[in-house]
Amino acid sequence: MDNRSLVQRFIAKPEFGPLVLLILEIAIFWSINPDFLSPLNISNTLAFTVELGLIALAMTLLMTSGEFDLSVGSVFGLSAVVMWTVFNTGIAPLPVAFLIAIGLAMLIGFVNGWFVTRLAIPSFLVTLGMLLIARGSALYITDGFPQRTWNAEDQWLAQLLVGDFYVGGFRVYMSLLWFALFAFLAHYLLTQTKAGNWIQASGGNPNAARARGVNVRRTKVALFMLSSAMAAFAGIISSIRTSAANPNSGTGYELEIIAMVVIGGTVLTGGRGTIIGTVLGIFILRIMRNGIVMVGVPGLAYNIFIGAIILGMMALHSWLERRHNAGT
Amino acid sequence: MTQELVRMQNINKFYGRIHALRDVSLTVNTHEVVGLLGDNGAGKSTLIKVLSGAVPMTSGEIFVKGKEVQMRSTTDAIENGIETIYQDSALVPQLSIARNLFLGREPVKGPALFNRLDHEMMNEVAGTLLKRVGITKNIPPTTPIGALSGGERQAVAIARAMHFDSNLIILDEPTNNLGVAETQGVLRFVREVRDTGHSCIFIAHNIHHVFQVVDRIVVMRGGQVVADNIDPKQSTIEEVERVITGEHLIEALGLEH
Repeated sequence: MDNRSLVQRFIAKPEFGPLVLLILEIAIFWSINPDFLSPLNISNTLAFTVELGLIALAMTLLMTSGEFDLSVGSVFGLSAVVMWTVFNTGIAPLPVAFLIAIGLAMLIGFVNGWFVTRLAIPSFLVTLGMLLIARGSALYITDGFPQRTWNAEDQWLAQLLVGDFYVGGFRVYMSLLWFALFAFLAHYLLTQTKAGNWIQASGGNPNAARARGVNVRRTKVALFMLSSAMAAFAGIISSIRTSAANPNSGTGYELEIIAMVVIGGTVLTGGRGTIIGTVLGIFILRIMRNGIVMVGVPGLAYNIFIGAIILGMMALHSWLERRHNAGT
Repeated sequence: MTQELVRMQNINKFYGRIHALRDVSLTVNTHEVVGLLGDNGAGKSTLIKVLSGAVPMTSGEIFVKGKEVQMRSTTDAIENGIETIYQDSALVPQLSIARNLFLGREPVKGPALFNRLDHEMMNEVAGTLLKRVGITKNIPPTTPIGALSGGERQAVAIARAMHFDSNLIILDEPTNNLGVAETQGVLRFVREVRDTGHSCIFIAHNIHHVFQVVDRIVVMRGGQVVADNIDPKQSTIEEVERVITGEHLIEALGLEH
């Protein structure tokens, strides 16, 4: 143990692979098209990146506890629709509508968690059902039409969520600060707190955790609620930024988010998770989406690259894992 | 002076129509290592599961230090100072040694809002404990359990039970799948457990291991306790084997030719 050098220990970390990939990716895109690192392109990429990133942070915690949530994309679409419908029909002012949407999302998360922990149904099936319910509700409420959002500008809440300011040539969106705050909190929660120890134990060996008095059920239910709440938060931010609450928005996000999390080094079966890895995974995928357009590859080819990255990273993680186990 | 620590009285357990435990009574005193022996299906595991709160008994009573207690869950058992260490289900392989030691009872420092783990304290206690249970290799307390050998894992589980002052530590087949040196290590921990004032129930298939550490042997057969006061110093392994299989009855009845 002790005779391993600092460099070797750094390489053995699960975040090492994603870090190298991210640096390579940036270097390649930049060398082909120098505009890739222009302030405008960076601000635009960041604005969109963090919306999915917020959900990926919560998903990392949930997956570390051994579950995952396929309904986040639908909740992303539903909560924005709910918030704007409540506001536009004059039922409540925007901050109240915001709280209603977040509250509804937490209820959805609670139902997910209840089915998974009480009825012992795999989270794949429970959240697949919830995906359809949430998406169906969003379409039903709106008759399939997008909701008006354009009177958002004079609202302080909208400014707080997606307002922007300039730092030098960079246009910084408030959502980026929210993302940084939540990333820090999630990392702190997972690595430094008692709750974080419970999350890892619930995913690693639930029987042992339960035998030690860890409330595995409550831990998982809380994480399902967090993941839904973050999906709603992201959906609302997105609706304000794009001035559209479309009942179909967020379709397919769940898989992209899970891809971000696993590329970062979090294990699908639970027990081990890394927020730093997830942040790297978020940037790898979003920069790939932006970069291949910038270098002139047809945008439709995007999924080919994403699929290849997932397979490549999984192969790398499994190789590192085996080498690590053999070495001790 | 020996004092009664745990007394199980007239325990019955039915699995459907199978009568797994028939009026079983078992007493463990303070500072005592009891070896629980019996063939497969004799009821050892069921008895231990009842005592550790893992399965409910059909009828019977359990007393801890003279007071009747209800074992509805494993948490109840831990609160009553009874800690069970199973071969593989006790630890979380992904977590570090220190994190496993304090799982469920993590020390927190600073304001309650921040819920912050006291890493320094956890690592320090873990380091001392590892030395105490005889892990002399220099293993940092931040090593994940998954990187340890079977014997080292047993040691960590035993160290945990010792640290949290469990009165009774139940070891279910602790020497299974272990090498010779590791087995000796585990047997040494068991002696250490007794010397530091804990009691222990030791379950093993290998009678030689049992003979090396226990004060008293209890034998089960067909869901009943058939002998509960065999002194390993005054009996031989062959005699105990005959009690386990029931051959001594056949001999006593003179049915042999």
